[in-house]
Amino acid sequence: MRYIFKFPDIGEGLEEGKIIEWYVKKGQSIESGDALVKMETDKVVTDIPSPKSGILAVLYGGVGDTVKVGSALVEIDIPGVEGEAAVAQAKDQPEAPSQETVDEKDFAGVVGTMEIAGDGAYLPSGDEGRPAKADAPKTRKALATPVARAMAKDYGIDINEVTGTGPAGRIMKKDIEGHSKGSASVNIHVPMPKASSAERTRIEPLTQIRKTIAKNMLRSKQSTAHMSIMDEVEVSALVEGRARLNEALAEKGIRLSYLPFIIKAITLALKDHPILNAELDMENERIIYKNYYNIGIAMDTPEGLVVPIIKDADTKSLIELADAIKDLMERSQERKLTLDDLRDGTFSITSYGSIGGYFGVPVIAYPQVAIFGIGRLTEKPIVKNHEIAIGQILPISMSVDHRIVDGAEVSRFLNQVLAYLKEPLLLLAYEGGTQ
Amino acid sequence: MTYDLIIIGSGPAGYVAAIRAGQTGLKTLIIDKKYVGGMCLNWGCIPTKTYLESAKMMKKVRSAPEFGIAGIDPEALSFDWPQAVKRTDAVVAKLTRGIEFLWKKNGVEFIKAEARILSPTQVQADKRVFETKNILIATGSRPAPQNLFKDSIDLEDFSSLKELPKAPLLYGQGGNLVELAQFFSLIGSKPVILANRLPLMPYLDEALETFIQKKLKKDKIPVLPEAESEIKDGMIIHKGKEYPFDKVLNVSSRKAVLPAMDIELELENGFIKTDRSHKSSVQGIYAAGDVSGRAFLAHVSSAQAMEVIEAIQGIEPPAEERQYPINVYTDPELAQIGLTESQIKAKGLDYKVSQYPLTANGKALAEGSSEGFIRVLYETKYHEVLGVQIASEHATDLISEAGILMELEGTTYDLARTIHAHPTISEIYMDAGQVES
Repeated sequence: MRYIFKFPDIGEGLEEGKIIEWYVKKGQSIESGDALVKMETDKVVTDIPSPKSGILAVLYGGVGDTVKVGSALVEIDIPGVEGEAAVAQAKDQPEAPSQETVDEKDFAGVVGTMEIAGDGAYLPSGDEGRPAKADAPKTRKALATPVARAMAKDYGIDINEVTGTGPAGRIMKKDIEGHSKGSASVNIHVPMPKASSAERTRIEPLTQIRKTIAKNMLRSKQSTAHMSIMDEVEVSALVEGRARLNEALAEKGIRLSYLPFIIKAITLALKDHPILNAELDMENERIIYKNYYNIGIAMDTPEGLVVPIIKDADTKSLIELADAIKDLMERSQERKLTLDDLRDGTFSITSYGSIGGYFGVPVIAYPQVAIFGIGRLTEKPIVKNHEIAIGQILPISMSVDHRIVDGAEVSRFLNQVLAYLKEPLLLLAYEGGTQ
Repeated sequence: MTYDLIIIGSGPAGYVAAIRAGQTGLKTLIIDKKYVGGMCLNWGCIPTKTYLESAKMMKKVRSAPEFGIAGIDPEALSFDWPQAVKRTDAVVAKLTRGIEFLWKKNGVEFIKAEARILSPTQVQADKRVFETKNILIATGSRPAPQNLFKDSIDLEDFSSLKELPKAPLLYGQGGNLVELAQFFSLIGSKPVILANRLPLMPYLDEALETFIQKKLKKDKIPVLPEAESEIKDGMIIHKGKEYPFDKVLNVSSRKAVLPAMDIELELENGFIKTDRSHKSSVQGIYAAGDVSGRAFLAHVSSAQAMEVIEAIQGIEPPAEERQYPINVYTDPELAQIGLTESQIKAKGLDYKVSQYPLTANGKALAEGSSEGFIRVLYETKYHEVLGVQIASEHATDLISEAGILMELEGTTYDLARTIHAHPTISEIYMDAGQVES
């Protein structure tokens, strides 16, 4: 029996992935659970395991190709499974998307099949004309002639980007010819030309991460009513307290940054201001309050911004928080974050000040409702007991979704957070309690 | 009152244009001097196929004993020509009535009269002058007159013959010629073909020409090239052998029938010169069908007519010429679409031919007609099908599958993976599609 394994949605709402490396070859025998391919998806690089044991009959796509969720990834010949058992096996594939999702984009489906035909098999059946299922992803197979499909594959053209001039917009071979003549840059198999000094622009395709960032940022700005508040807090006590703690923990090799203190202050304050740890469900006209505190920490990586989360941050000690941050930091640099590390955050923190910048206006990690920004800690003259003194000033900013959070509530929340930062011993006063 | 369109000629170009024009709201007048339906319905496609069917029926009845039907004496069979004509007339009447009904339904006016184009906006007919925005000339063609045989008749006069000739001489070239030769042979006459030149059907692939020449030879129908023959005392002498004849049918290559005109239209080899949208050299005047000399086929004429109506409404046809099937209603039938092998060679394309005989086809064997083959010509890179030729019973219907395949730029893989019902002759497509990549 031939089992077609489609690229599953391994995250929430994942749409596509890029093939980084194939671990297997056509004709190879594999066991269920064996890693098939290394895929770069939105923000993570992950191995896709085989759901079945058998012989690999077909591999779709090459390194660098983009595969849509729901598109065929491999075909596995499972020996000795026939008839109804085969159907049953096919059905139990987790999250198997409907056939409708098979998409021409880049490589899947028919475009990769001239090789199969060479083995005496035929082109896999197409999906044109099948009714769309309500829950199917939006992508649809482009209406194109068999030759146009084969040519698009040959020329490395994304058939979805070609305008068809045939009946009902059908893409004909002349449309592919016209497309390939019209735009040289569509050929994704050809490496992008390196900019010479004479060139005034340089063209580089977007990485998965950049695409995701762009999409998420825009969605946040377009879907929420951003409002920001900024403030300063004098944190001499925190600076001094942290130094003493680090001294005490030095022999254990532990070193705390300010971030665990800030996370602690925020999770404590969030418990008193649950609206900031919530989500607005506009469709059903309701607010979803979350009784767990997954704090996203914005991290800079060579590929771009990622926001992994510390799960149940409110239950962790300062040391545990420091460990969690360190772990996420290392894994983000090595691109070893999993989708689990990235999803279901309830509130986010960004410390732009660690690189530079005093105040910033952070963008909310939608659908969360608030993000806390930390600027650069600076020594500044302050008035203390009617005298000028040197103060340790931490500038902070906060953006919230004004649709569900009003300014007064944000100020009350901030007052509480800043109070904890000003006097970190207060953290001890409230830690572990319910009040 | 001004018409949007006046159509002269009511054959497959004219009547189709009229119906379409009416459907799309154009105020339309169609004028024909003689028939509704032109040559196709009255003395071309339909009558000849009806006669041929009678002849093929005779052949079948003759072989009835072989199929297990007793009580028929093949020797006692004779061809009842007046009855065959009567049946044909009934078929024609039914079809022409259908056309008139469709014209009426779509608000098309019809005048039976000789038309004269006075100006690009004026047509005279029935002693009246009609104003119009556009004119479509669809007056067709007829066999070129020849001087060799003074008392020859052409297809139009054929059905008015009281008696069929015993040894007809078929003079000319093309599919009609071969069809007629077989018709006479099937009903027991002794036809002779005097070919203007060879091949008999130059627009068909050589494979089909070779096939049909062999078949004619087998059926003892002589094919005599004019250049090597001599005409003397009601006889053709070819290589010292005498071939007598009692009637000559002129099936020569065709010449445009032009309407009377007070304006001048640019011609090309005697046909009205048209562009891709079938516009003539005069603004507002179009020409479609045989009169423009592009193809002498009813279905091509109709397709051109549809494009004319679109052009009048500002829709330009696709730049490339369309694929169309060419059918010959011989026994067995011949059909072809797309490029011939020599055309592919001339284009310098890399191609392969997948040929499959009918001898292994169950349905063909059951019907007792396993003579023939299918040839699928495809380019080697994507396996796009470039041309298909079929010699088989029902080939003229079978070819439509290749038509849609090629319209959709299909490949041999598509043929091979399409499930064809068994047993059918159409399975030969699936067989021919199974080629090595």
